[in-house]
Amino acid sequence: MDTQRPIVEMRDIAKTFGSTRALLGVDFTVMHGEVHALLGRNGAGKSTLVSTMSGFTPADMGKIRINDIEVEANGQSYASSIRKAIAHVQQTPQLFNLLTVAENLFIENPIVRGKFGVVNRNRMIELAGELLENWNIDIRPESLVGELGAGTRQLLEIIKALSRGVPVMILDEPTAALSNAEKHILFEQVKALKTRGVSFIYISHHLDEIFEIADTVTILRDGRVVKAREPVAGLDVETIADLMMGEKTVRSTREDHTRARETPLLQAKSVRIDKNSEKDVDFNLRPGEIVALAGPVGGGKEDFAMILAGQKRPEKGQVVSPKGPLPTIGLVPTDRHASGYVGMLGVRENVTIGGLDVLSDNFGFINKAKETSHVAQLARQTNVISSSIEQAVSQLSGGNQQKVVFARALCRGPEVVVALSPTRGVDVGAKEQLYALLRQLAREGLGIVVVSDEEDEIAQLANRVVIIFEGEVMDELVGDYTMKDLILRMEGVI
Amino acid sequence: MSLEMVNTVKPSHQHPGQSRLSAFGSSFVSEGYTMYPVLLLLVIVGAIVAPRFATATNLVNILEQVSVLGLTTIGLTFVVLIGRLDLSLEGIVGFAPMFAAVSIVSTTAGGLGIELPAWTGLFVALGTAGLIGLFNGFMVVRVGLNPFISTLGLLVLLRGGVLIISNGRSIYSPGKALTYLGSEKIGGIPVSVLVFIVVAIVIGFIFKYHRYGRALYAIGGNEEAARAAGINVDRVIWSAFIFAALLAGLAGVLMTGRLDSAVTTQGQGIIFSAFAAAVIGGVSLGGGRGTMVGVVSGVLLIGVINNLLTLAQVPSFYVQASTGAVIIIAAILTTLASRRSSGVRTRT
Repeated sequence: MDTQRPIVEMRDIAKTFGSTRALLGVDFTVMHGEVHALLGRNGAGKSTLVSTMSGFTPADMGKIRINDIEVEANGQSYASSIRKAIAHVQQTPQLFNLLTVAENLFIENPIVRGKFGVVNRNRMIELAGELLENWNIDIRPESLVGELGAGTRQLLEIIKALSRGVPVMILDEPTAALSNAEKHILFEQVKALKTRGVSFIYISHHLDEIFEIADTVTILRDGRVVKAREPVAGLDVETIADLMMGEKTVRSTREDHTRARETPLLQAKSVRIDKNSEKDVDFNLRPGEIVALAGPVGGGKEDFAMILAGQKRPEKGQVVSPKGPLPTIGLVPTDRHASGYVGMLGVRENVTIGGLDVLSDNFGFINKAKETSHVAQLARQTNVISSSIEQAVSQLSGGNQQKVVFARALCRGPEVVVALSPTRGVDVGAKEQLYALLRQLAREGLGIVVVSDEEDEIAQLANRVVIIFEGEVMDELVGDYTMKDLILRMEGVI
Repeated sequence: MSLEMVNTVKPSHQHPGQSRLSAFGSSFVSEGYTMYPVLLLLVIVGAIVAPRFATATNLVNILEQVSVLGLTTIGLTFVVLIGRLDLSLEGIVGFAPMFAAVSIVSTTAGGLGIELPAWTGLFVALGTAGLIGLFNGFMVVRVGLNPFISTLGLLVLLRGGVLIISNGRSIYSPGKALTYLGSEKIGGIPVSVLVFIVVAIVIGFIFKYHRYGRALYAIGGNEEAARAAGINVDRVIWSAFIFAALLAGLAGVLMTGRLDSAVTTQGQGIIFSAFAAAVIGGVSLGGGRGTMVGVVSGVLLIGVINNLLTLAQVPSFYVQASTGAVIIIAAILTTLASRRSSGVRTRT
């Protein structure tokens, strides 16, 4: 395979959204059979660039050539003309939950179509079965997509795109919902397809994935290329982070503010997380402590966090406070798009719904002055960047949306914060800001529970790590644990 | 802290680069003022073509006519703001006052024979409405029915129920307690108009400034986020159905008062006008968006159009058809205006 020949060439691509200039004349080249990582912070233009490549959002200006198809962009849609050369897997799965796996895989696919558009159901199921077997995924082609786990759905989305047999694939944050095992399945397939000459454009926040899978790296910053086609072998994490940030970054380290002698804020007594598990969980959260709940996806760490937050009833046992009434708990839910913010409302309203009772008078009317100053103060504390506190949250970048969710969780002045995947889909800069925020809260004596899949995040934050597997506490790391201890336990090796 | 980022929570302009005029335009639309220019235009046109239109008597008359629709629409807005709907409101407009009437009047006048004291009229009507709302909330929150089907069923049931309890006959003069609000005047202004104005103002304030209103918008915008923020979503949904029913019951009482009788066909078709008024007023049927200012504009628009067509001596079946056409045109206008002003685009 000739890896010296470009398959994708984009020249001088420009794209403007309203008054925001997302791309300012970007050049981008992908060779045959290459895995090309596209890096950059949230809002750097990565997703916009790949969307102009697939035609999902047409570019305003520039030239695009994919394989033998050439497009001169002028803001008009050109997706249909390049559809047969490129597939684009977006951040959120675009599947039909009420259709079966087979139907989802072969929707609008001429292979299974007979006369008058009648779909050959048996052939479709047969082909789907082959595909799934090929990928080593143990699900029936007839099962409904809505019944599958998030990871499997994400894989299906990728399989669907790959099964179209296109020479170029865009994977935009493909591993966000994948477990480690699923991630490996994906990487195996990517490597296999690469040897057959398929090219990949790969976007991820996880730099370790980039080093594992990518050949070449292009880094964007503020709608411009700051590093083009750099072989991944010649880069390290610090260099990449510097290029993305545009300034020298230092990874922050964890601090311990645990007030070990004080009474716990929250206690879980003989809590049964999962009705299939056989052991109960006892858990104490002390003031000033940051506890991470870790473990495999679906192992019950999210469920346990929701039980602690009072959002879910345990199968057995209870969550109490030794001081009497339960403390105020601020919750940062897992998926900010689904349950984090109300997109059509502004920053002010989004933050206020977290503390309607403390901001309103005896009759329940909201004290406007108090509200404005309280929200402004929280927005400052969480570093929300918006044109005003009235700006709709749907217009903010991912990192800022997440900060709004944090501000909402802090609105009632909680004593305990439960944060699930606190920095999912958030860029490095915003991540560090959120870590600093959590440490500051711990310093002030709050108890923090973090659920995370990222080793780095846990190592940077947590004074104590509780590994939860199949609804039971498997292990616990306290104090000066090493990264190696952590990784081995999270993978379930020890 | 490794990064110092400038935090810019500027209280001033809406979006970077947006002109003051377009900022005004988008707040004009989002606050619900879109239809007022149209309304003003209609009033001017009306004053020119029909001399009797722009008289104080006629304008008060319009307000009196829309008060029933107005209360029903405000009630409907509660449930629409949380992304639900309630078709049974139309049934309540007829059923609640009828039930009160037959509970009061003697059997010879068509009553059930309970013969409650006359002063209970208003309370029986509102109590009945409230219970129906409670039932609706139960069906949606606890049983988990889709509100379209559960309230549709109830609407049909209540329509039949009215005929059963009244034996298919109207009840005349059901007592002062029931008819006062809809028939009396204070200082020349009908009490029903005052009721509508007071309700609109109080609930307008609740929508805008009360924690309950905030909860409604939050649930309509993203139910899961509202739950995660600690709002008791089920209770708010349940109560929204009760408030909606109570307002529909009050609307029914006004109507009974105006006619001095509980009529079996009372309120028929009002739910369609209520939906139309809400949508014209900029209430999003998907939930989370809509203001009292807008709702009132939608109600007034429908009232003014009906009044104008009647004054212009357009035959009644043309009135109905043209109201329909106007509803569609007004809804298009509202949608276009809100799309232009808040065409929210997201990107990463």
